[in-house]
Amino acid sequence: MLIYRHQAGVWRYLRFLGAEQTEADDLTQETFLSFTRADFVERDPRQTVGYLRTVARNQLLALRRRQNREVNTVELEAADSVWAAAAGPDGSLSGYLDTLRDCVAELRGRPREAIDLHYRHGAGRDAIAAKFDMKPDGVKSLLRRTRALLRECVERKINSANRRSENRP
Amino acid sequence: MKEPQDSHEPGSVSDLHDRLVDRALAETLGGEMPPDLSARILAKGPTTTSERPTAGNSPLVVVRWSLLATAAMISIIATTVYLLSDAGSWKSARVSSKTDRLTKLEQVSGKRKTSRGAVELSRRINDAGGLNSKLSEQAAQQLVESPGPKRTKESLLGNFAVSLPALKEAGEDLDRKRSPSEGELLTVKDGYEPVAFGYRWTDDSTKDTGTKWGFPSSRLQQQNEVRGKFFSTLEADRRNDVLRGINPPIIFDGEHFDSGERRSTIARSAEGTGPGSPGDHYTRIYENPFIEAVGGDAVSTFSIDVDTASYANVRQFLMEMRQLPPPDAVRIEELVNYFRYNYAGLKADDEAPFAAHVEVAGCPWAPEHRLVRIGIKGREIERDHRPPSNLVFLVDVSGSMNEPNKLPLVVDGLRQLTHELGENDRVAIVVYASSEGLALESTRGDNQAAILGALDQLRAGGSTAGGAGIQLAYQIAEDHFVRGGTNRVILCTDGDFNVGVTSTAELERLVAKKAKDTRVFLSVLGFGRGNLNDAMMQTIADRGNGNHHYVDNLREARKVLVEEMTGTLVTIAKDVKIQVEFNPAQVAGYRLIGYENRMLRTEDFNDDTKDAGEIGAGHTVTALYEVIPAGRWVDEPAVDELKYQRTKKSLSDSPTDASGELLTLKMRYKQPEGDVSRKLERPTTDDGRAFAVASADFRFAAAVAEFGLVLRNSAYRGDATFNTAVEIAQSSLGEDARGYRAEFLDLVRRAQELQPDH
Repeated sequence: MLIYRHQAGVWRYLRFLGAEQTEADDLTQETFLSFTRADFVERDPRQTVGYLRTVARNQLLALRRRQNREVNTVELEAADSVWAAAAGPDGSLSGYLDTLRDCVAELRGRPREAIDLHYRHGAGRDAIAAKFDMKPDGVKSLLRRTRALLRECVERKINSANRRSENRP
Repeated sequence: MKEPQDSHEPGSVSDLHDRLVDRALAETLGGEMPPDLSARILAKGPTTTSERPTAGNSPLVVVRWSLLATAAMISIIATTVYLLSDAGSWKSARVSSKTDRLTKLEQVSGKRKTSRGAVELSRRINDAGGLNSKLSEQAAQQLVESPGPKRTKESLLGNFAVSLPALKEAGEDLDRKRSPSEGELLTVKDGYEPVAFGYRWTDDSTKDTGTKWGFPSSRLQQQNEVRGKFFSTLEADRRNDVLRGINPPIIFDGEHFDSGERRSTIARSAEGTGPGSPGDHYTRIYENPFIEAVGGDAVSTFSIDVDTASYANVRQFLMEMRQLPPPDAVRIEELVNYFRYNYAGLKADDEAPFAAHVEVAGCPWAPEHRLVRIGIKGREIERDHRPPSNLVFLVDVSGSMNEPNKLPLVVDGLRQLTHELGENDRVAIVVYASSEGLALESTRGDNQAAILGALDQLRAGGSTAGGAGIQLAYQIAEDHFVRGGTNRVILCTDGDFNVGVTSTAELERLVAKKAKDTRVFLSVLGFGRGNLNDAMMQTIADRGNGNHHYVDNLREARKVLVEEMTGTLVTIAKDVKIQVEFNPAQVAGYRLIGYENRMLRTEDFNDDTKDAGEIGAGHTVTALYEVIPAGRWVDEPAVDELKYQRTKKSLSDSPTDASGELLTLKMRYKQPEGDVSRKLERPTTDDGRAFAVASADFRFAAAVAEFGLVLRNSAYRGDATFNTAVEIAQSSLGEDARGYRAEFLDLVRRAQELQPDH
């Protein structure tokens, strides 16, 4: 059950850190195998999530070293902090993803269209630029601004839900 | 909105947040989902990580691990002895494996015992070298065994022959031509782990081609009309599908291959062959024919259906298994009703629980016909005003649920629902396997920790005693009955009621009696594949005044249990029947599209003892009729004219109505706690509008129906093709806030890839 519960979170985390899909597949597998071999005693699910993340990060670092690719460990640490704040206590990111879906549903107009074209239909910047009669750099900015809006929306909703939960008697 | 110059520096916090949203969008919109690696991990792991020691039970675990280690050692020694004694056989290019050589799954100290065939297969492939990673014996065991988690002797699908790679050829490209009579061997592409095999076939007589997973039987190999090319499952997603049993290796008999049953053969891994046989079970669908609108035949009566199980099931076939679904899995009304339509709701002073709308326009697949759409919109209830709920989660924890897309998905789905509950709700959890049990007493919805904790404790194991579990669940629901609230059992299962109570008929009677006597209704959520008893789940949900959904992923669980929670849980009208009387002066004939298992007799409409479908808060229900205008020929099945009655011809020659009405729509419904029905009635005329100017919702519903007709290869499909379905749907996506309509386009395109000639 531990694998079922945590594998998606570990995989997403590795993808977030920059692993390719196939790399994330392999590294998730290695993470759990390494976890199994270790003498880790589970005391608290949050601790388990943190431990799995550390193992996964180390697996990625080891892979990059084998590939002679440089890794910015400072950035990696910063990325870990961002992830830990967003992924929720179970480390799966599920709550974040669900909230993001709601936020996307609230998007309207060109931002929504651009996001749909890019993520849902796999359209590149050039294709979107041609459709919107914009420059590709403009599309890049549009996508980035829309993602920033979505981030604000997600954080606002999550904070609001947390406050409601804290106020519950 | 201008951003600070440094905010987008690579590695800055802002950039990392942007990357996080980017990744999340790639998953939520782009479908880049995490793969299920559990089988792969478990197959490779020295132990199962699900058995992690905890601080509280370490000493016990140490003892258990010691026993496991001993058992594993014995197993390895036995395997080694066997391999040494049979070493010469690996050198043979061809390995024949018989059913009786495949051992049934056995549990040895919690670990699967590996069959000799699997050991041999694993050894041969691993010895081939040049692979990134080795194929474990456990993985090989999954490969050589037949599909599904409940592996019985019958499910091993008969004898088969396994042709393995010529080991020296490892590293060469796999797609080599193969002569079936000579049995040329597979080669394994360098860098891939061959966890399953398949082949591409060509039927010389029909020129059909296709893809099959697994090894063909020796009988098939000898058939001249079928030629094939072997290949292995190389893509990661396919590989995982195979390992988790969603798309298991298929081993088939030649007789299924040359008799025009290709479509059912395609879905053979999922389709049961009859009572007691392994695989998924569907009720046979006999399509509604065209009926001449004359005399008593001018009236059509049916029960509404708000289920959506068929759509999710079809989606899993197409998108995950890359197979066309068996025709009987395609219930067109459930495909159409999967989507929300923007029907106008009720006015504040309306007494009825739902509003009805009728729209008529041209029929896209038969231009000379008209298409009538009946749309019903249930009264909306805001979540905050939802009546209190008394829910019992009835969870199948039998051995067959021990797959990632079954029990873990059930738990995740119910967790999401639990988050939505509050102090006015109550939840109990009943489990059933070898015996039924109460996993959680009825608990207030705001005691989230207790409910979530109980869900997390659920483990699969044992055989299924579904009937006893249902009885206990109803008992708990009755004990905590909330007057004026939602009282509902939510059954989560793969539908494998194989122990204890008994026949479908007995279960039907039980749930129907409970719904009538106790007003506790039943929702049925189907999970997984291999034992999916779609027919039974459909039936008991119908009899239990409930709804039936198939949950193939977490997104679907969220749709059913969170987004449409009030619709799923809160029934606003029950026994909703629709009767349409066509005016022979306008209509020569008609055909109801779908709803085949919801048809009622004309006299059932006014009979309040006859059960029919329920509608939930905010639900939309859509029904489509294809209508042949008056003056055109109706191609009915040939029946002799009755000798002593007025002939159809004499009746149809004298249509007297001059109202110009096309039809009259009548509906009957009961309040959720009432026993007497009320009737609504509204006539409709046809303004002759073309399909192109119909509303977007009308066109989209027509596109979905057209997709269903082609998928079923319906005799009434007319000019329908996947292409036109895509074109129509593309032009009628509407707002599509959650992307369900866009996803539909993906489904049609996938079906088109699988069957390009349609």
